[in-house]
Amino acid sequence: MVPPVGSAAIKSGSSDAKAWLLLLPALAFLAVFFLVPLGQVVFFSVMDPGFTLKHYTSFLSDSFYWRVLWGTFQTAGIVTIFALLMSYPLAYMIVRMGGHFATVMLLIIAMSFWTSFLVRTFAWMVILGNNGPLRAILEAFGWSPAPQLLFTRFSSTLAMVHLLIPFMVLALYSVMKKIDMNFVRAARSLGATPFQAFHRVFLPLSAPGIVNGCTLVFIMCLGFYVTPVLLGSPREQMIAGLIGTQIEEFLEFGEASATSVILLLVTLAIFAIYNRFVGLDKLWG
Amino acid sequence: MTDSTKKGMNRRSALKLAGATAALTFPGPFINRAYAREVLYVNTWGGPWEESARINWFEPFMRENNVEIKTVSPVSFAKLAAQVKTGVYEFDCTTLGDADIVRANEAGIIEDIKQSPIDQSKLWKDAVFQNGVGSHAFATLISYRKDKFPNGGPQTWAEFFDVKKYPGARCLQRHAGRVLALALLADGVPADKLFPMDIDRAFAKLETIKPAMRVWWTQGPQSGQLLRDGEVDLIGIWQTYPVRLIKEGIPVEMVWNQALLDKAYWVVSKGSPRRELAWKFIQSAVQPERIAKFSLANVYGPLNPKAFDHISAEDAKLTPTSPENIKKVVQQDTSKAGDQMAEANKLFERWISR
Repeated sequence: MVPPVGSAAIKSGSSDAKAWLLLLPALAFLAVFFLVPLGQVVFFSVMDPGFTLKHYTSFLSDSFYWRVLWGTFQTAGIVTIFALLMSYPLAYMIVRMGGHFATVMLLIIAMSFWTSFLVRTFAWMVILGNNGPLRAILEAFGWSPAPQLLFTRFSSTLAMVHLLIPFMVLALYSVMKKIDMNFVRAARSLGATPFQAFHRVFLPLSAPGIVNGCTLVFIMCLGFYVTPVLLGSPREQMIAGLIGTQIEEFLEFGEASATSVILLLVTLAIFAIYNRFVGLDKLWG
Repeated sequence: MTDSTKKGMNRRSALKLAGATAALTFPGPFINRAYAREVLYVNTWGGPWEESARINWFEPFMRENNVEIKTVSPVSFAKLAAQVKTGVYEFDCTTLGDADIVRANEAGIIEDIKQSPIDQSKLWKDAVFQNGVGSHAFATLISYRKDKFPNGGPQTWAEFFDVKKYPGARCLQRHAGRVLALALLADGVPADKLFPMDIDRAFAKLETIKPAMRVWWTQGPQSGQLLRDGEVDLIGIWQTYPVRLIKEGIPVEMVWNQALLDKAYWVVSKGSPRRELAWKFIQSAVQPERIAKFSLANVYGPLNPKAFDHISAEDAKLTPTSPENIKKVVQQDTSKAGDQMAEANKLFERWISR
């Protein structure tokens, strides 16, 4: 029951108004903990010390920042593609096999969810290290001396894909498990090969899951910086790490805020372009 | 480049807004003050540092004064600067290194020791520097794998930078102030002429080992792990880690010659409502026996010379401030560096990712 607070909207009995009332706590939370800080960041970016656009002009006119920004998006893109390629078959198997297999696989995925990113990053340091098992295996197969794996782009990409796979699998799984398999059977009975049935029926139906998963993984990856610093090549720099340095080391709040706003705008722009040409809303159905 | 030096002072209005929001969302310290027992907030490095600080500093002080100590970690210069301007104090005292304390004192974000109840005549000679009280020291020194260099490794920074004589993967801390100073030492700059730094000369020297720099370490434990696993053959590292590795029987050697000394000083946040208590705590923390025990736990060198009365001769050999080692280490006079550190920091981050 809604307490009789005497709002006109409630008296009108509009179910829309009641729905909004239910949303109120969430909206209030978002306003206080998301919109206000975000507004502050925008404020700092043009008000440090007085009103100025110099933090933006110095960013935009400096190729160093562009290179870091481009590198970050490149890394996020590559990681997203590999995470999708590895997660799709896994999610598909979980949905198709069901039963114990699904339970065990989902449990394994949930377990890696609960293990901290840092712990998993350090585990990769051991696996990929000079005295680690992976190089030992390569050398046992005659590749001697095996190349050094740690502190390369390969290592950081591999680890980030591994860290983000659970998010991708769960995003795909939640959509795939709702797909009515009768559609696929109908396609088969109408003469489609197994590949055609998958390609023309199942894959398009699972597209919202792909978009969800890729969006989630891409955006999470943009914010990564500990993993590339610990595993990647020294030259690899992520924009989130740069923002951290601007605040912690340089005490440049304005510069850091401007960098954050630019990162946000570029991310939104990419999704706007994607929406324009691919059409997010069509996929959402 | 931007005029970074004065900016900190003119950010007042914007930071006040941040302070107001922070005060609304995190009223923790004020609520706690309502309790009978006074609370002191100390900024710590967390982990083993805090563990040994708790046993050797916090617990005795809490017992003697019937106060409570709460900790905030990790040590953050940015927070120290912000809280003075907003008036919202997350911590009352913290430790700062050589370079940061000069920066902090110039920016006026730490309390003046002359206004404190500390009786400087009861401290040791040179105990006070830039309104901070000396606590302990650590050194960035050369350490190498003995299995890689069975006939002995580099003994000076010049040799560390010599990739022909000592080929192998190298690692240094991702820290502009220290790395540039080491490069200058390697290039033959005498220890007393390091500051102000010739930044161009330092980068020119660094360029010569860039291809051999396999990775830059950012966390203390990470540097120890890199040496233990043999990921790198030579490293510039804090003494704590090679001392532990040698005790574990890992084939590692450490070189005290030209070790770059860094000192940690206790400072009080400017304008903190609990500054009297903070000074009282600092006075208790630098007592010979307590600083000796804290230093031993982390293999640091106590700055209070009387602390060595409580340290065995064998343990003293492993500390950078022992009478024997202090002659070999390089002491930095960062007060001459002035404001060039901020600029050096920026150039260094760019140089690494190039």
